[in-house]
Amino acid sequence: MIEAVRLEEVCRRYPNGAGLHPVSLSIGVGETVAIVGPSGAGKSTLLSLIAGVFPPDTGRVFLHGRLLADLAPGRELARLVGIVHQQFDLVPQLSVHSNVLAGRLGEWGLARSLLSLVVPQDAALAKRALERVGLLDRWNERTSRLSGGEQQRVALARLLVQNPRIILADEPVASLDPARAEDLLALLTGIAAGEGKTLIASLHSVALARRFFNRIVALRAGLVQFDRPAAEVADDDLAEIYALEDHVR
Amino acid sequence: MTGLRSSRSILTILLLAAFGWSLTSVDWREGVLNVQGTPALLEFLAAAVRPVLTPAFLGRAVAALWQTVAYAVAGMTVALLIGAVLGTLASGALAHRRVARFGEVVGARATLGLLRAIHELVWAWLFIAALGLSPITGVLALGVAYGGILGLIFAQHLADAPTAPLRALQAAGARPWQAFLYGRLPLVLPDLVSYALYRFECALRAAAVFSFVGLGGLGAELQLSLRELNYGEVWTLLFLLIALIVAVDWWSGEVRRRMTT
Amino acid sequence: MSLAAAVILVVLSWLWVIGEDRARGVVLISAQSAEHVGQFIEDLLGIGSPSPPAYLRPDRWAAMAGLAAETLGMSVLAAGLAGAGALALGVFAARTVAFGPLRPSRSPLWPMAFFVTRGAFIVSRALPELLWALLLLFLFTPGTLPGALALGLHNLGVVGKLGAEVVEDLNLRPIQALQRSGARPGQLLAYGIVPSMLPQLLTYLLYRWEVIIRSTIVVGFVGAGGLGQEFRLRMSFFHYTDVTLILLVYLLLVFGVDLVSAGLRRLAR
Repeated sequence: MIEAVRLEEVCRRYPNGAGLHPVSLSIGVGETVAIVGPSGAGKSTLLSLIAGVFPPDTGRVFLHGRLLADLAPGRELARLVGIVHQQFDLVPQLSVHSNVLAGRLGEWGLARSLLSLVVPQDAALAKRALERVGLLDRWNERTSRLSGGEQQRVALARLLVQNPRIILADEPVASLDPARAEDLLALLTGIAAGEGKTLIASLHSVALARRFFNRIVALRAGLVQFDRPAAEVADDDLAEIYALEDHVR
Repeated sequence: MTGLRSSRSILTILLLAAFGWSLTSVDWREGVLNVQGTPALLEFLAAAVRPVLTPAFLGRAVAALWQTVAYAVAGMTVALLIGAVLGTLASGALAHRRVARFGEVVGARATLGLLRAIHELVWAWLFIAALGLSPITGVLALGVAYGGILGLIFAQHLADAPTAPLRALQAAGARPWQAFLYGRLPLVLPDLVSYALYRFECALRAAAVFSFVGLGGLGAELQLSLRELNYGEVWTLLFLLIALIVAVDWWSGEVRRRMTT
Repeated sequence: MSLAAAVILVVLSWLWVIGEDRARGVVLISAQSAEHVGQFIEDLLGIGSPSPPAYLRPDRWAAMAGLAAETLGMSVLAAGLAGAGALALGVFAARTVAFGPLRPSRSPLWPMAFFVTRGAFIVSRALPELLWALLLLFLFTPGTLPGALALGLHNLGVVGKLGAEVVEDLNLRPIQALQRSGARPGQLLAYGIVPSMLPQLLTYLLYRWEVIIRSTIVVGFVGAGGLGQEFRLRMSFFHYTDVTLILLVYLLLVFGVDLVSAGLRRLAR
């Protein structure tokens, strides 16, 4: 198996006791992995560590065999890993195409970036991405005019244009209704399968995780509770990880 | 849907075109740089590090500064008076009958609009032509121009006051003027005070240049020093004015902070 | 405390104003001053003058058109310069850029740029347009350009400070997302910061334009051309019906700009 992501004894602690303590994990190229667990279990921390948003307190993160700390932030990192958030994080005042093409900024110089605000550069690439997410007709729209579900898909199109080898999705469906959530996960896993990308997504719903992903990693209180193929996850396992949450309540 | 985007493009094009046109209003052919001025300018800039600080000049400068402050303060009292009376009328908060209210509002708004439209220095010049040269004319000019601005802002705030507390007062049997004193005014007072303080800062700047219509104050000293090519004195006066504005800015920030917390 | 200080200031100020007024022998409001005002209004209207008043003569109105255009041009130029300056410098004056999460590098240049731009904004705001005009006449020949620059410089501080505050209040998440997809500082500016601050900055600039057009006549007093210079000329020759004409044109300009600015602000939203 070629490793896309390897975590070695990675620790990250917060003053309130949350975080990861410690976690080791190996994910192969092309796998689709769902990270599940109750809120505060460390799902977002895990994804942020893989994305290089902040470094671990101790332990090491490798992406495609390279130590994350050695990768230059910006372009080099952006080619390996990209992340979508539940709040989409688009610039609302920009047009849809500019927001999508922002995924190319790592590849462009300043002059080309400025030109692209007026005359879209690499337009074919952006059109293909928007077509893929079904929003080609909104090409020239101001992003703030789009609904939440549409903005989430624009964020996805930006990621397609950025074209990283590992796609991270932090609670990508948390703010969507159930029907749209299923559409988005189908789109996300379809892209990963079609282009041979590694996909790691954190989810609150285990039902969705079992339907759309091939592997499930369950976190509880910053530790890996279990890690097995989705098909082998039994209902009892799930009861166990969420038991604590009920207990806390 | 795409209308919004295109309206912004229209705006961009309009603004760029307007700016391009505005460049044509400059007479570029005659040469814009004043070549003889360059040595004088360098001399002027060099004087920044050695402002004149002799007791005699500092005494004059502080006296001039005090005159400017007095103009601004006295002018603001006139402005607050005009603004409070006309602003209340223009807000329509006091009238009960619809017809009277319409007349009041329109009349007061038109008056305020006219007072505000003309710059305070233009008012000052007109008043001086009519009444003669005296601090009173400067104070009146400042009061009239700023009274117009304050009145319009006051009226807007009073009219936009939250309605729920007012309705509660009326339900409890309060007459319009009582509802005004106990409801509307206290609701918007912090905003009004804060705006008036900002205007006071502007009034200081305006009073500082009253010398251009023949009145005294900081500007008069500054023009005198400039005419005598005594650049060190000019800098002393400029530093004093900047310090004054910064101090007032700080003071109004403090007052605002204490009113809102 | 503040209230007591304000009351003392008001009393002292009025004492000085009235004392000075007495000393000059003008004496505030008297029967005589009412008479003077009446006479002045008659002069403005041209009552009792044999020739027709200027404000009723079409040829005089036509002569005003050029001056009005010059004044309008000066105000637009001033607003444009202030806006461009604020857009270019406002970013450096934002605490989030100098010290906070938007700081592009650890270089001490960023905090330095913060203090320099903030200081420049304070100075440019503290000096009124007319003083700027007076100082600029060292460097420029009298005309529209020093007038527009003087207006622009004063407003640069006003608009620039607001621009910095807008940057400080920006939602950081979209900008951090851009950073993560590989954008460098210049690109963050073009794709994240400028588009986010532009609508607010533009709206505020259009407000300022209404203020600027009122002040444009005033910089004309020191030789910056336009209606202001003509006003000074006519006042000093006691051509009062021409003064009335200039005031009418001035009011038309001011109210016209108010209307256009309100319309453009609606487009900006």
